[in-house]
Amino acid sequence: MPHQSAVTVLATVPPDRVDDVREVLNEANRQGAGEVFRFAEVAGVHFARLVLVPQGPDSTGTLLPPSVVYMSEVDVPPSVHLADLVRRAGDELDKVFAYCDGYPAGGASEGERVAWLRSHRVPCAAFYVNTVGRGRQQMLNEARLREAIEDFLDRHRAELSASSPTRIRAAVQEYVTGREDLAWARSRPASPALRWRIRQAAHLLGVPLGGLVLLPFLVIGLPVWAVLLRWRERRDVPSRERPDRDHVRELASYEDFAAQNPFTAVGAVKPGRFRRGTLTAILFVVDYGVRHFFKRGNLAGVKTIHFARWLFIDGKRRVIFASNYDGSLESYMDDFIDKVAWGLNAVFSNGLGYPRTRWLVLDGAKDELAFKHYLRSHQLPTQVWYSAYDTLTTHNLRTNARVRAGLFGTLSPAETEAWLALL
Amino acid sequence: MVATLDLDDMQGLITRGYSTLRWASFLMLSITDPAGARAALGQLTPRVTSGRAEPSDTAVNLAFTADGMRLLGLETPGPEGFPEEFVSGMTDPDRSRFLGDTGENAPRYWRWGGPATPPVHAVALLYARDEPGLGRLEAEVRQVALATGSLAEVVRLGTAELTEREPFGFRDGISQPLIEGLPKATAAGAGSAAGGEVVKAGEFVLGYPNEYGLLTDRPLLPPPHDTAGLLPRVPGGTGADLGHNGSYLVFRQLRQDVEAFWGYLDEATRRPDGSGDPDARDALAARMVGRWPGGAPLVHAPLRDDPALATDNDFGYFATDRDGLRCPLGAHVRRANPRDSLDPRPGSAESVAIGRRHRLLRRGRAYADGGPGGGTERGLHFLCLNANISRQFEFIQHTWLNNPNFNGLYDSPDPLVAPRRNHRSTFTEQAEPLRTRRLDLPQFVSVRGGAYFFLPGLRALRFLCTATGEGGQR
Ligand code: HEM
Repeated sequence: MPHQSAVTVLATVPPDRVDDVREVLNEANRQGAGEVFRFAEVAGVHFARLVLVPQGPDSTGTLLPPSVVYMSEVDVPPSVHLADLVRRAGDELDKVFAYCDGYPAGGASEGERVAWLRSHRVPCAAFYVNTVGRGRQQMLNEARLREAIEDFLDRHRAELSASSPTRIRAAVQEYVTGREDLAWARSRPASPALRWRIRQAAHLLGVPLGGLVLLPFLVIGLPVWAVLLRWRERRDVPSRERPDRDHVRELASYEDFAAQNPFTAVGAVKPGRFRRGTLTAILFVVDYGVRHFFKRGNLAGVKTIHFARWLFIDGKRRVIFASNYDGSLESYMDDFIDKVAWGLNAVFSNGLGYPRTRWLVLDGAKDELAFKHYLRSHQLPTQVWYSAYDTLTTHNLRTNARVRAGLFGTLSPAETEAWLALL
Repeated sequence: MVATLDLDDMQGLITRGYSTLRWASFLMLSITDPAGARAALGQLTPRVTSGRAEPSDTAVNLAFTADGMRLLGLETPGPEGFPEEFVSGMTDPDRSRFLGDTGENAPRYWRWGGPATPPVHAVALLYARDEPGLGRLEAEVRQVALATGSLAEVVRLGTAELTEREPFGFRDGISQPLIEGLPKATAAGAGSAAGGEVVKAGEFVLGYPNEYGLLTDRPLLPPPHDTAGLLPRVPGGTGADLGHNGSYLVFRQLRQDVEAFWGYLDEATRRPDGSGDPDARDALAARMVGRWPGGAPLVHAPLRDDPALATDNDFGYFATDRDGLRCPLGAHVRRANPRDSLDPRPGSAESVAIGRRHRLLRRGRAYADGGPGGGTERGLHFLCLNANISRQFEFIQHTWLNNPNFNGLYDSPDPLVAPRRNHRSTFTEQAEPLRTRRLDLPQFVSVRGGAYFFLPGLRALRFLCTATGEGGQR
């Protein structure tokens, strides 16, 4: 059984070739990302996207180069994924990366392309997974299982509704047992590989141990850091920029086709080593938190995010944030403000132009419209986007998993009723 | 702190729905000559009803689309302008997708407001105590507005005499937020159960703090624009506040297929022997709405209508009915206002507070028009007021009503009002031990017209219509 990984491949594009790449992405969008890149056939892809990160200034005004970025959330190790992708959609990838420096052009072997892609991987500073260990195949299977049970109940409602919950569940069990294609439902989903779990446990313990060693430095350093932070927070100038109308329209043209949406944004880190260091440390903590604590469908109160990642690019002068979430951007931003403003502040307040914060976590996103304008301004059009289960929300996926988990095995009468209420 | 509301500067529709003025019509207007239109509207301005006193015989309110504002010379460029959703309008293609206005609901089929009909720039909302009174008011308004030919009437939208019931037969207008600072809200008191219904004025009126304690973005004009000093000044700034005491009016003409609705319910609830079952039919209808035809909420009256609870609005969902056994999870009112069932902590005051950021002041009126084929088209002129169209109207329409996954459901958009598009539409009645699913629900409501309007404060209205009207650019 898998654990999900985040794959990111980033390559700079010569500025005079950006329009060509954009055209390639637009064409893929018109034809449908899933068809062009055959993501459904690539093993274990949950989501995938391609975006253009435009040329843009860092905090000192130096122009950073444009790049094209491939991101996916997959159930297999990244190198396996890239090899699989090249095998199925190599020609399409060729078009996307053709203008990038050193890309092995036509005639090169699959192996060379995979090697090039691997050498352009960018690690995540932090990666959030809604439910660690729930693979794509499991999700699709469980969705099918639920539908089969619902159909069964519809067909037999008249007889069954006069029965007891236990009887009804027994009837469902019998029905599922009789279905060859649902045989897998009789066992539990496998848990992630032992090696991976040991690594996670080592990380869980190792980080606080390391922290203990550093404690004396932290005790001395933290007050100094806090003073410096406050001083900077007062001086930093929040942007009053409203998102450009054409930009907003372009973004809207890619949104709200499915139950989920992609969100991709890029921003410059505030100038100086202080902010870069702070952000690195914060993302380290975020990574620790999402790896070990927020891994059961709930990111500090927000339950609608399937995956989210933060990564540094351009030598830590810019940051990309990318996620897949349920609902509309408006509802997503409202969730941010109402539920995790503090968390967003801690990360994004190190970004240039962010609404003014106090003590890193206060205010900031609470300035509703300033925050929404900031996000919209920094958001990038996700031209190519694929979802393996585009009608299912995190809530649905959780319900499906619970239906499967409670189908066989012993349940008390109360548990049986609760299980039936899921259907 | 409770803000003092400047009722004299607000249009009356914000403070009241004019329930004593039982006759209404809405004139959709097109501007053909801006200068003349300004003059004509300027003459109408003294007739416009403010929010101060309850009008005894008639009421007039005026609102403008973004194109209308532009034609009147009000480009508000740059960051201080109108919000994007107002500027690009209800019929922008991406917005249509967002609102579910596709397929048969698409703007190209609309009676008004779409690309196939003349542009709408303004609406005159007219209300009167009786039918002859409305006739006189219309004649008077037309005389003033249309005489010079600089405004043209695109369409007149009549309404049926105001009753308690909407065309499907349900009592409407029961649950309404109370605007903080109005006498009704003060009487309800913050501590009482109805306290949850009291919402900051800034959620509906521009220029007052909203539920975040902030001022919603509103159109501000740089100083050279308002030399006559008609508009209030931005506190601590030099700009003139065009938005103060204004609001956004969302207007949608929603056709209700009354025969299809009750026909479906009849069929769905037939007994095995084929005979009709009126009680079961009414119960299914009530579950789709979340209230009985008489108004009683299912949370308090799960089994049958109860006249004593006709206007009962004192309930939540989480503590009494978390699983939807009384009021189904997908019922219209449970979506349109989930009350205390919102994440992250359903049942808490925080949950209710999050809900207060998504409320609407509904001001709709039912209509019954002679349709083209001689039949009668019935429906609702759905009107609502809000300060932030994205966070309020559009959010409710998209994220709550049309959302097939609302409340953890599957394939289940609002059973009553949502478009079906090409999706499967299911309505589930949660029950013990076993739910009932109604598959392939037909569509009962379709969109026939619509637009976003800005309902300016009275000073802003005078500024728009009269201030140096000749010059064009101000
Ligand atoms: C023809 C279409 C519609 C019909 C027949 C209809 C009918 C009703 C009825 C019977 C009620 C219960 C009475 C009450 O609580 O006042 C109600 C409540 C409500 N409706 Fe609708 N409605 C329609 C469209 C809409 C739309 C398009 C929206 C919003 C976008 C909406 C928002 C609401 C809200 C916010 C409530 C109050 C819920 C509460 O606070 O409990 N309705 N509607």
